Amino acid sequence: MELTPDILKSLIKSAQMAADHEIGCDECFDELHEFAELELAGKSPAEAKPLVKDHLDKCGSCREEYQALLEALRAIENGN
Amino acid sequence: MLNWFKRRRKEKASYETNEEWIEALKPPVDERAVKLLRQQLIRGLKPALHKYVDRELDQFVEDVAQDALLKVLDNIDSFRGESKLLTWAMKIAVREGLTELRLKRYDDISIEDLKPDDDSREVFSLTVAGNEISPDRSLHESDLVDKVMTIINEELTDKQKQAINALMIQGLPVPVVVKQMDTNRNALYKLVHDARLKIKNKLEIEGIDPDEMLNKL
Repeated sequence: MELTPDILKSLIKSAQMAADHEIGCDECFDELHEFAELELAGKSPAEAKPLVKDHLDKCGSCREEYQALLEALRAIENGN
Repeated sequence: MLNWFKRRRKEKASYETNEEWIEALKPPVDERAVKLLRQQLIRGLKPALHKYVDRELDQFVEDVAQDALLKVLDNIDSFRGESKLLTWAMKIAVREGLTELRLKRYDDISIEDLKPDDDSREVFSLTVAGNEISPDRSLHESDLVDKVMTIINEELTDKQKQAINALMIQGLPVPVVVKQMDTNRNALYKLVHDARLKIKNKLEIEGIDPDEMLNKL
């Protein structure tokens, strides 16, 4: 196994995107319900909670949970 | 008997506000509120999880809703009312469901399969020590590989190297790496974040512009 150009690129990009302060998955989860309601209300969750937005951009597992949460809440709103 | 009276007294026709929900879900719980919340969770979970579940969706969703309800009841005191209670409870239920699905997805993988073999464990040092460059690789590219590998070898802890190796080089899924390293998702994210920061800072100290590096690749 070797470091291919693609892997090297993703490593460098990932390092480049590292911010001094990033929240982890637990802190993101703690605020996810508020973030979701802001989005559903048509407000700007990214502005209100930039660290949560940053984490969702960088963590696939949390992003997957957030998308599923939105889907669940929309289904209830729409009376499904 | 006394509990029955208490429950009866607490039952309401509807639960509009968070205060009403909290009151109903605190012990002694109002069974009607629990039933209503379970129904709502199931209604939301079905469309949210159906694409991940290939069979017995109804049973799966009911089990998830039940497990989530227990967590909601156990943690009702921690709900601070920043959203509707249903949104908070749904968040717990969705994570419960997806966590269960991820565990099932990787159930068949044995611990032995998850252990990196000697070659992969040594991938960083071997690549640097061997310094074997494919003939079709440009000099720039091999220099960059060497630089990054040196930074990784010199700056990162063994655990950080293991995590970067597993996630970025071997491309293993997060749940597999979590299991392999006997950790949790939050700790793994923080471990990798520290590693990314170290690489970023070292590149900066050495005067290497990441954009320039990316352009050369």
